[in-house]
Amino acid sequence: EMNPRVRDLYKRVLRIGKDYPAGLDFVRRKAKEYFFQNKDLTDEVEIKRAIAWGRRYVRDEMVAVIQLKKYRVLRERYG
Amino acid sequence: PLVGIKRVIDYAVKIRVKGDKTGVETAGVKMSMNPFCEIAVEEAIRLKEKGIVKEIVVASIGPAPTQETLRTALAMGADRAIHIKHDALLQPLAVAKVLKAVVEKEKPDVVFLGKQAIDDDCNSTGQMLASLLNWPQATSASKV
Repeated sequence: EMNPRVRDLYKRVLRIGKDYPAGLDFVRRKAKEYFFQNKDLTDEVEIKRAIAWGRRYVRDEMVAVIQLKKYRVLRERYG
Repeated sequence: PLVGIKRVIDYAVKIRVKGDKTGVETAGVKMSMNPFCEIAVEEAIRLKEKGIVKEIVVASIGPAPTQETLRTALAMGADRAIHIKHDALLQPLAVAKVLKAVVEKEKPDVVFLGKQAIDDDCNSTGQMLASLLNWPQATSASKV
């Protein structure tokens, strides 16, 4: 039984993972690692915190890596 | 403003030539919005956030999957999307002529286009469109 917000987060990770420089397979592997580490959480607050951390990570860290890589490659090519 | 965007092979993909040497392999290859078109969309959104422009319309010419590219632009903040369905590759002059028709229908105040497409690097569509419309143009803009 997966928490719908957890599933939503996992889908978000995979969607952003498509553009990730290291590749979708890498992202999927790492995501499963992190998600499984937290699979036994029962406290509502802790679950919320973990999901919020995940969302922030996707929105800030992963997007930043993708944008930076793109910027560097394009500047190299068209600089 | 009207923003023209193009669906191209993703910048990170290693381009391969088709086995029969008739062109570039595009089947099953990752496609996305041309990075310079992305910049055009972002600039239009920035202007909208500042209140300088009101409604952003994005337009693209291409086969059915171009819809995804248009949806990405809508997710970025565009208000409406126009999909001109066409399956063959188009040269800049043809694109400019089609965009001219769109401009005459939508009547935007300004048109933003990406500087060049990363697949053909023509850097021509904007200039041609301006010329066909008899509008002033600013090319290779780094700031609006």
